[in-house]
Amino acid sequence: MIHRLYVNNFRCLENFDLPLKGMSSALLMGGNGSGKSTVLHVLEILQRIARGENRTGRLLQPEDFSYGRFDAPMRFEIEVFLQERLYLYTLALELPEKFKELRILEEALSVDGQAVYTRKEAEVSLFRRSPNSEDTARFLVDWHLAALPLIQASPDTESVRIFRTWLAHTVLLVPIPSLMTGESGGETLEPERDGSNFAEWFTGLLSRYPSSYTSVERSLRQVMPDIKDLLNRPVSDNVKSLAVRFREQNEDRARNAELTVRFKNLSDGEKCFFICAVILAANESYGPLFCFWDEPDSHLSLSEVGHFILSLRRAFGNSGQLLTTSHHPEAIRRFSDENTLLLFRRSHLEPTSVRRLDEISFDGDLVEALIRGDIPAYGD
Amino acid sequence: MATNNFRPHLHVIPEDDRNRQIANGFAGSKSIAPRVVQILPPAGGWMKTVEKAKDSDMQRYAERRLHLLVDFDRKTDRIEYIKKNIPEEFIERVFILGTFSEPEELKATLGRKGLEEIGESLSEECPACSDRSLWEHALLRHNTEELERMIVSVRSFLFERSEDREHFPPRTGGGSL
Repeated sequence: MIHRLYVNNFRCLENFDLPLKGMSSALLMGGNGSGKSTVLHVLEILQRIARGENRTGRLLQPEDFSYGRFDAPMRFEIEVFLQERLYLYTLALELPEKFKELRILEEALSVDGQAVYTRKEAEVSLFRRSPNSEDTARFLVDWHLAALPLIQASPDTESVRIFRTWLAHTVLLVPIPSLMTGESGGETLEPERDGSNFAEWFTGLLSRYPSSYTSVERSLRQVMPDIKDLLNRPVSDNVKSLAVRFREQNEDRARNAELTVRFKNLSDGEKCFFICAVILAANESYGPLFCFWDEPDSHLSLSEVGHFILSLRRAFGNSGQLLTTSHHPEAIRRFSDENTLLLFRRSHLEPTSVRRLDEISFDGDLVEALIRGDIPAYGD
Repeated sequence: MATNNFRPHLHVIPEDDRNRQIANGFAGSKSIAPRVVQILPPAGGWMKTVEKAKDSDMQRYAERRLHLLVDFDRKTDRIEYIKKNIPEEFIERVFILGTFSEPEELKATLGRKGLEEIGESLSEECPACSDRSLWEHALLRHNTEELERMIVSVRSFLFERSEDREHFPPRTGGGSL
């Protein structure tokens, strides 16, 4: 569970502290341009580092410094509670004069306040601890590369592996259903934000955790009761194609009508049901997962939104953590004051601030207050 | 797919935004079966919940139950007033429950961090007879009679655990307005 995300000097986030401690699920709300997508972007940078894409030039650009302020470092800190221990990963970057690509100024991982490794520019210090001794390995890393994915797995670096795996498995979603074709040329546990490798993710989940099929089917049957089963058949040497078989719900057993629909031909909303089912199964199988879903209500019918959000919230109430954004009244109403975070900016020249909704006073219905613009700091 | 209107389901009409948050905790609780509770938008006052109840297609959908989640504002006759204004044709499927004063006072006296947490605790105590300490709180115990009536009506579908759906021992003690 993320306790805290701190960002400084990155786009509209200056001295920005997102408090998530104790929230198994939370809603990030705010006007257009308030910084919600920038929070997602930060999480994506950290995720990509853990997934091995660690070249600073591929992750960040000079224009990402807030208001072109190159004289101060850009800083990211994420505090995560995993397996009863508190992990803190820090990354600070700078753009010295005449540099075209950002370089790493500082990087560190600590667990329960004890440094696992620290880094100053190119020099990394890896602290190896055993019951009887403590020594430090020092080595150099290109200052344009984050060290996190480069540290080799060993008994001394188990905490690096735990943190890195958790971060690589985070699910950051802004799904584009038309890109979800249901075809897979491999398998993964690392879904892309647009959902384009959904079938690979589903295949990877079933391949490594076959019992998760039961969970996926159970979730889907709640929203599509006429599902019979799912097929994932080879269509060529290396490609499989996902399809769904439906059967008529009829008490007259003499009729046995069935229909097979290729995954790509499902509706956008139905594809979102699949994403939800796979997230829940993944969280049970290899979680706890952190999931950021940007506007999960998109593509859903009005009567479905509340159930969908409550299902997600309920599932992440057991383990893992869910962070969503929404402008949809039904989605907003399925969160409460203590788990709704409001982002706001006074203008494009000022940074994003964050407040919990229970720290803001307003009268009457929340959604109506938002429409009226009555909530201080919303659309201000 | 929404709640199936032809199977037993419960609609909740919260009086206001505070009660909406209690309903969130109740419907999102692990004790409650998924997709059988639909929380409708806040009515904007307890009298408006009555108007909304009249417009809830209760006659058309025989499996629909309606929970009006209202503040009693320390008025002991409020429940009778509301009941008098609900059409007799479906009054037995309408249940009026809420805080004796208002949710913020309940939250303050319980020292809870949020209203959602209160809703969740209320749902967990709902099917059990042995421990209903929260329902017996000074600001909630006036609901006892209406709660009993509601549980009899919804127990077959509302609760997640099959033992809560199938077995519900009669309760002793309690109070009403």
